[in-house]
Amino acid sequence: MKRSQFIPALLALPFTLLMSCEKSSAPVGADHPKAAKKLTIAFLPKSKGNSYFIACEKGAREAVQELGAELLFDGPTNTDPAKQNEIVENWMTLGVDVIAVACENREGIAGPLKRAQEKGIKIVTFDSDTTPDARSFFVNQATPQGIGEALMDEAARLCAEEGEFAIITATLTAANMNEWRKFIEARLAERYPKMKLIDTKPCDDQKDKAQAETTNLISANPNLKCIMAICSPAVPGAAEAVKQAGKAGIVKVVGLGLPSENKAYLKDGVTQSVILWRVADLGYLTIQAAYAVGTGALEVGSKSIHAGKLGEIQIDGTSIILGKPFVFTKDNVDQFDF
Amino acid sequence: MKRYSRELTVAIALSALLVWLAIFAPHFFQPQPLLARLTAQVPVLVLTIGMSVVIISRQIDISVGSQFGVCAVVAGLTSAAGAPLSLALIAATLTGTAMGALNGFLVAWLGLPSIVVSLATMVTWAEVLRLFQQGRFINLPAGVQWFGFSQFVGQASLLFFALGLLGAMAYFLKNRTGGRHFYAVGSDSEAARLAGINPKGVTMLSFVLMGTLTGLAAFCNMVQSPQVDPKCGVGLEMKAIAAAVVGGIAVTGGRGGLWGAFFGLLLLATINPALTYMHIDAYWEKAIQGLVILLAVIADGLRTKRSAA
Repeated sequence: MKRSQFIPALLALPFTLLMSCEKSSAPVGADHPKAAKKLTIAFLPKSKGNSYFIACEKGAREAVQELGAELLFDGPTNTDPAKQNEIVENWMTLGVDVIAVACENREGIAGPLKRAQEKGIKIVTFDSDTTPDARSFFVNQATPQGIGEALMDEAARLCAEEGEFAIITATLTAANMNEWRKFIEARLAERYPKMKLIDTKPCDDQKDKAQAETTNLISANPNLKCIMAICSPAVPGAAEAVKQAGKAGIVKVVGLGLPSENKAYLKDGVTQSVILWRVADLGYLTIQAAYAVGTGALEVGSKSIHAGKLGEIQIDGTSIILGKPFVFTKDNVDQFDF
Repeated sequence: MKRYSRELTVAIALSALLVWLAIFAPHFFQPQPLLARLTAQVPVLVLTIGMSVVIISRQIDISVGSQFGVCAVVAGLTSAAGAPLSLALIAATLTGTAMGALNGFLVAWLGLPSIVVSLATMVTWAEVLRLFQQGRFINLPAGVQWFGFSQFVGQASLLFFALGLLGAMAYFLKNRTGGRHFYAVGSDSEAARLAGINPKGVTMLSFVLMGTLTGLAAFCNMVQSPQVDPKCGVGLEMKAIAAAVVGGIAVTGGRGGLWGAFFGLLLLATINPALTYMHIDAYWEKAIQGLVILLAVIADGLRTKRSAA
């Protein structure tokens, strides 16, 4: 061996020893096989180009940095359940520790997730759940009760707890929205006796129809003080109708939607409040939960989880609930880009 | 007189509804909401004109709702990229024309039934749009809404344009040779061929025209709002077909006129607001609209039976 080759070899020796050490110790230290290694969390959104999930990713990156974990972020370019399954299969081969997924197809992805569980990979879902037997925990952005109460409270605040309001929903048969309406009406009956729900109109999940319905509602009900739009295309639709009627500020608009679709109306004072969860926090909490599940700190039956900057988060069964929805107004909307 | 009986029936039904509203819900005639409602119907009217021509030619095109969505997104993305409105208009109409030409080619030259062809293209375009746009709204730059003019000027010019188009097309269909060809092919394609008309060419033309008008309609929709909703076309094909059928255009082809379709559209578009003004539950909306369409189809069936007897 030449001298020039000997020195690098000598330098490499400790590493070689270390590596062989780790290899040989693996079966012995089976209790904490991953303690020495960084935990790898794979994060799978419904689609990676979508601004909603990009905001999620931002929060997820913040959490892995705090926790010192490894993050794999991948997803279909556009929502595609088959592609999601494919990515899960790839990660199984790669051998990640935890997979966090927002499921496009509830039943379709359950098979691959269960196979991953058999290989010892922990599964956490967020945003949209799979079947409960295919994951440990579901990080739930908001409960129907939380959404319904936030909408009603916000409408009441804008109307000073007095006057007529109307609801624009997607369809009269949409199950999730009927659930929200139930909680809106319960809150109304319980807290706001001087407010009156005068009409509920479907907009077929279309902005133009929401606008038409709002135009008619405003003119047919001169005392109308607030429009509550509970599906996302209805919020800008209702706002446009109020703007065209020249009633900005007189008829308030509150809704459940994306800040980016409502920014201009919020700034113009047509829409007062848009309600949604903090999407980045959803990503952050998902990683916190995934990490806790991966290290074994969080097990089924736990009542709460300590989630870094979010503090103590309640667990309901196997649902980890992000908490109260967030209210976007003209003052804070610039801080968000989804 | 008998020739215009359907137009008359629909116009009378519409007038009755309007009188009823004038008595019980005078708010209905407040100028601002009335103007807003009429302007919102401009895209549907433009589609109805095209659909009427297609149905008169004894075809159907149920893909126009999906086509409308694609054209709206094309126009929206063109405008959002900073291009002038004229370019967005050209992009939308060219896209619509191309999609119409595809339907026309499959129906006229391959002889496939238009209901199946347009069902296939309806699903295809809707899925392409869903994959491409993911339901995301397109925020438009200032100066697109109302062509950059005031709301009133924008609304007035859209209405002016739509009524002008309606008048011109109605005249063309009734009084010009080219217009009568659609009726000839729609009543009896073989007889039309023997009379020296090219039925394939006429069928093709009806679909191409439908596509062009769809692009135009999507543009008329875009300039009414600062945003494009990619789902804006969903269900529009049914509105256009319903307006034509209620207005007396026979689904068996060769009969009916644009003014009837226009009254049919106004009647159907008045039912929904009427319910709001009369404080009737929204559950009734679709049922009542369905009933009106059913009555129109029954009236059609009776008339055909009587004339056959």
